[in-house]
Amino acid sequence: MRIGPIDVEFLLAIMPILLKGALMTIELTVLAIFFGTIIGLFVALMKISRFKLLTVFGGIYTWVIRGIPLLVQLFILYYGLAQYFDIQLSPKAAAVLGLSICGGAYIAEIFRAGIQSIDKGQMEAALSLGMSYTQAMRRVILPQAYRRLLPPMGNEFIALMKDTSLVSVITMVELMRSGILLNSTYIRSMEIYLTVGIIYLIMTTFFIYIINLIEKRLSISDAS
Amino acid sequence: MIVAEHINKYYGKLHVLKDVSLTVARGEVVVIIGPSGSGKSTFLRCLNYLETIDDGYITMEGQPIGKKKLSDGRLVDDSRKNIYRLRSRIGMVFQRFNLFPHQTALQNVMEGPLTVTKIPVAEAKARSLALLAKVGLADKADAYPVQLSGGQQQRVAIARALAMQPQVMLFDEPTSALDPELVGEVLEVIKDLAREGMTMVVVTHEMGFAREVADRVIFMNDGCILEEARPQEIFTNPAHPRTKEFLSKIL
Repeated sequence: MRIGPIDVEFLLAIMPILLKGALMTIELTVLAIFFGTIIGLFVALMKISRFKLLTVFGGIYTWVIRGIPLLVQLFILYYGLAQYFDIQLSPKAAAVLGLSICGGAYIAEIFRAGIQSIDKGQMEAALSLGMSYTQAMRRVILPQAYRRLLPPMGNEFIALMKDTSLVSVITMVELMRSGILLNSTYIRSMEIYLTVGIIYLIMTTFFIYIINLIEKRLSISDAS
Repeated sequence: MIVAEHINKYYGKLHVLKDVSLTVARGEVVVIIGPSGSGKSTFLRCLNYLETIDDGYITMEGQPIGKKKLSDGRLVDDSRKNIYRLRSRIGMVFQRFNLFPHQTALQNVMEGPLTVTKIPVAEAKARSLALLAKVGLADKADAYPVQLSGGQQQRVAIARALAMQPQVMLFDEPTSALDPELVGEVLEVIKDLAREGMTMVVVTHEMGFAREVADRVIFMNDGCILEEARPQEIFTNPAHPRTKEFLSKIL
């Protein structure tokens, strides 16, 4: 069956493989967001720490990771480590590691900017009550910062979801690689890659929708 | 109660506190006046070590604040834990209120007792509601700071500081950020505290208030204490020409 130039039967035939790939893309995205956020928070706290050594380490981390293309980082993790240290990561391990390390660097910058955008008086007020630095961060600074963090974080999460397509080059079978594999069999580039693109679009749209929902919920409890 | 000896502080090369010494007795209300940039706020913030000092020694009831003396007389930074503990016994009210905007008035007041002293929620709530009533805001317990006027916010901030049951209260220009018609309600609350015998150090430009509640008025200029006297004396017959000049401009 055809609808105009679109071969519906062909699309239906390849759909299960693409959807399976999409599922892996979602899994990679969620894992990268989870670990990336943890890395990001710690690196951000390092960068604003009063200990010089931590500040320097955090600075080097974001500088190096944000300055090297993710694609190169993935090659180093997957092929480089195998050559030098005899560490052969599985494609999935290398993918999650690479995406988390990279996402973490960007998320760290978002956290840092968010934390530093909170008025200094807030920290002083918390300290004057006798709170420790950690308590002040947890009870006063971070709860205010994370409301401001949400929009840039949403952007970062969407970027991360799209960046998962890069791990196709280290033989990780996700949505993009599923498309590539299908195309090497059928050689119908337009139909296959257009479908892949539309599936990405649907996923990112759904993601944006969820983030907007959370933002709305937070702004209600904010009362401001 | 509080003894500060020979406090010196620099911002880079700028000498902002020059050998400042002050003793505050229990129950005493000390008001610090002086032109802006004279170091009076900086000095006040040293008293709970929100500002570090480069030299000098501060104690509260004999316990060192910030720096402690070793047996050979050298001064070293005290442990963070000790600094945190001492701060919990010193209340501070800021010019810009600094209420926590993500919390209601009640949550703001409860925050210290819950997080720092870790008393049961019910007890913290009872204490906080009583304090909100004391500053005349019992009906605003569930309001967020943005929903309150400046004067109301500052009264919540005073209640928040009092919730830690401090032994001393420090006020850093508590009415300077307020619209003129809101100054009175905040000063009333501070006056009440003075009447109850709270030990207080107040940095302010409100001379009428200083005259009324101060046991002692300190005049600071250019990082030094130039004059200290009872309010009647300093306002009617200032000893130092610089004090005279300042008061003639402001009164």
